[in-house]
Amino acid sequence: MTRVFWIALSRVVLCASALLAAACVSQPVDTGTPTPAPQPESVPPVVTPPEKLPEPQPPVAKPAPSTGDYPKTIQAAGASAGVLALYRQAQASRSAGKFDAALGQLERALRIEPRNPFIWQALAEVHLQAKNAEQATGAAQKSSSYARGNPYLEAGNWRLIGAARLMLGDAPGARHANARADELAADPATAP
Amino acid sequence: MVRIKSPFLRWLLIGLAVAFSIGIAALSIYLVRLDGEVRVRFAGVRWVLPAQVYAAPLELYPGAPISVDVLRHELDRLGYRSSDDLVGPGTYVASGNELKIDTRAFAFWDGPQSEMRIAIRGDGKSLANIRAMGSDQPVDLLRLDPMLIGSVYPSHSGEDRILVKLDEVPPLLPATLMLVEDRNFEHHIGISFRGILRAAMANVRAGHTVQGASTLTQQLIRNLFLSNEQTFKRKITEMFMALLLERHVSKSEILEAYLNEVWLGQDGARAIHGFGLASQFYFNKPLNELQPQEIATLVGIVKGPTVFNPRRYAKRVQERRDLVLKLMAEAGLIRDDELEVAQLQPLGVVRSASGGVERYPAYIDLVRRQLKGLYREEDLNGEGLRIFTTLDPRAQEALEARIVADLPDLEKSRRLPADTLQAAGVVTSVEGGEVLAMVGDRNTRFPGFNRALDSKRPIGSLAKPFVYLTALEQPERYNLQSILQDAAIDLKMPNGQHWAPKNYDRQLHGAVPLYAALAKSYNLPTIQLGLDVGVERVHDTIEAAGFQDPPTLPSMFIGAIDMAPFDVAQMYSTLAASGYLTPLLAIREVQTKDGEPLSRYSFKLKQTLPEGPVYLTTWAMQKVIEFGTARWAVSVLPAGQRFAGKTGTTDDDRDSWFAGFGADRVAVVWVGRDDNKPVGLDGAAGALRIWGRLMRDISARGIDLTLPANIEEAQIDPQSGLRADEGCAGALTIPFIVGTVPEAYADCANARESSPLQWLKDIFK
Repeated sequence: MTRVFWIALSRVVLCASALLAAACVSQPVDTGTPTPAPQPESVPPVVTPPEKLPEPQPPVAKPAPSTGDYPKTIQAAGASAGVLALYRQAQASRSAGKFDAALGQLERALRIEPRNPFIWQALAEVHLQAKNAEQATGAAQKSSSYARGNPYLEAGNWRLIGAARLMLGDAPGARHANARADELAADPATAP
Repeated sequence: MVRIKSPFLRWLLIGLAVAFSIGIAALSIYLVRLDGEVRVRFAGVRWVLPAQVYAAPLELYPGAPISVDVLRHELDRLGYRSSDDLVGPGTYVASGNELKIDTRAFAFWDGPQSEMRIAIRGDGKSLANIRAMGSDQPVDLLRLDPMLIGSVYPSHSGEDRILVKLDEVPPLLPATLMLVEDRNFEHHIGISFRGILRAAMANVRAGHTVQGASTLTQQLIRNLFLSNEQTFKRKITEMFMALLLERHVSKSEILEAYLNEVWLGQDGARAIHGFGLASQFYFNKPLNELQPQEIATLVGIVKGPTVFNPRRYAKRVQERRDLVLKLMAEAGLIRDDELEVAQLQPLGVVRSASGGVERYPAYIDLVRRQLKGLYREEDLNGEGLRIFTTLDPRAQEALEARIVADLPDLEKSRRLPADTLQAAGVVTSVEGGEVLAMVGDRNTRFPGFNRALDSKRPIGSLAKPFVYLTALEQPERYNLQSILQDAAIDLKMPNGQHWAPKNYDRQLHGAVPLYAALAKSYNLPTIQLGLDVGVERVHDTIEAAGFQDPPTLPSMFIGAIDMAPFDVAQMYSTLAASGYLTPLLAIREVQTKDGEPLSRYSFKLKQTLPEGPVYLTTWAMQKVIEFGTARWAVSVLPAGQRFAGKTGTTDDDRDSWFAGFGADRVAVVWVGRDDNKPVGLDGAAGALRIWGRLMRDISARGIDLTLPANIEEAQIDPQSGLRADEGCAGALTIPFIVGTVPEAYADCANARESSPLQWLKDIFK
């Protein structure tokens, strides 16, 4: 519950800062001088935030980013070119049914970026396809551990765990996992 | 017709004729049998091909955290040659922050990587840019060929080799070999009468045997089928077999067999057979990269690897090499200018210690043991499997250097005689549980007792984190701030004896917060805590961390468990990996000798300990370094980065341990004596010194401070253990399992209702 609250709070803070920022850059409005409607091209792309914002005090050390900030793909997450190359190779291997090769390539990528949750998720997907439910579960859990609250990743991981549980004959467990995934997918910001 | 009148003479002749016929018949039978034997045995020659063991290849990609200097060092270790121009695979050109490399082709497990010419630019700490030369295309990723670090050869014969094919061998090698050992090889019939004559004359002139007349064929026969005794009978058999072999087998087959069979050196129990291995053994590079003077050296050694051991008799071997070079020039195999250049070169034989092969005995020992469970002995010894390990040569080198450098310092600091102390260490990766480095003896090349695997010693306080973890798994009862009593303990044991343990400093410290009791490694609160949660539960936690069958006695809480450094690394890996148990592995992949994939050992992981309590335990273990028993490490670890660890000391300072980790590396170090006498070093004064500098040297990354999903932090007043706010001076930020933050506020907290909502209101006031 607390976490949900802080996510909401962080949004409020973000809104507040956006408002303050808007106040700074829209000075002409304050002077009452009529200004032409801004041309789309001339809108400055970066709005510099005001110098001083009220520093949020802990209890929560790091405010969670709003959902819009979470990357949906490994490309958007800013992985290195080497890791992306291996990730692509692994996808190709997997499509060709070469699971061992795909695992090898993903593990190479993990040696370069051991805490990249997208690679762990891809590893879980290959394990699942190779009918290795236990390893799929482990890798999906690991992905969520490193997902830093990314609801897209977490939802995907719950689906993988659900499928793995089904494979192991745990139907209720699978339903539970899929329900978690659905919650996250329906409203990524507020799902538990 | 001549009539022989003398009956005696007649009978003599008849007798001779009969004897001659019988002789011919016997010889024929002998030859026919020998012929069959030669054919069958040569056809059945199966080279004993020991498994070849490789280190992990170095991955090169833009952003790789490795400086150009380190990369250069890596190339040197792989036997790449620095030159002014790229003149073939295995060469590089260095200029400032740029490296041009002609990489070697290599058949990796997941496919071959061909030779590439690349240009790399560094930016001091990492690789900024990699381009393919010629096309100038950016390169995202490539691997250097992995270092050959050893082989699994049969213990009975000690025969080790790397098989080469004649068409892969630089032509200069067989040409030089024939020139020196058997000039007439291409034309003789297996034995050379001219050679015999020449040798005989030389021997008569000298008055004793100075020259052998064996052809390459005869030498091969001797090495393959016959004993090494110098008897007339063996010599005759050898000649006949050589003649017969030449009738069945082509010259090039004989030559190829010779190149792979000839004995070229000895390394302890290991016999170096064939030019492929000899090239690695003496020059640390593949055969096709040998220079003329190096080929001359190897061919020179053929005459007698003991007498012409280049590591022992460098001068003698260099003279012989120059003689061979002269012959090569006379025969037109090399030009005169090449001769001049070659003669100016040093012998260039790598020290046996720095040769790739048999360099890391403790690590190879681990590989052998892990292979033993997976393959049959004869497959390992003879099938030429290619084994790809997880060894990181840079981490291995750093671990060795630390132990070699720091033990003498520790001895001096405790006024111990030199070479009293022993040490062992293990480095593993956090994700994947790969064993990156292992040392089992301060003499790091000594292939003897492997302390990293076999020296089982009590682990002392290294056991404590598992007691605290067991308690923190009950968040309704314990959190990091829970107050423990450091008070005397007197336990009556089942055998009637009393157990009255003491703190290391023999003091009592009263009430201490749980995390501080771990950080300061107090024994008494730990035992109290262990008794409170129960021996059985702590036992289960230790098993979940990866060590089977720990004793179920309270003395276990403070380390009465015997473990090898490797066992400790396994347990601490599980903590480092947030509670995921990954069996430590040294082997990634195994290929057949033809490069077909045989098996892969995938990352295996299973969550065996809950993430939240592991996070809290790790947090307390960071305090061990921040202000606890391992404070010293702050002075050597990179500023601003957090590491977690634990000191371990046993009774009377017999064993000095440190185990700890950052985000990507786990390292365990043990220092002690083989005779188990006190060393006067606790964990902090001994093993920690090596550990701290080691983590610095391998550029281990600090712990990721992102909170797991089920952890929240709160301000706590250290005096009361209750919640604090800005009204409290010296409040601490402490992590809790979500929902277990104390609700009550400390007295120091502002009287007003200090809820998060209040704080929110404050912001918008």
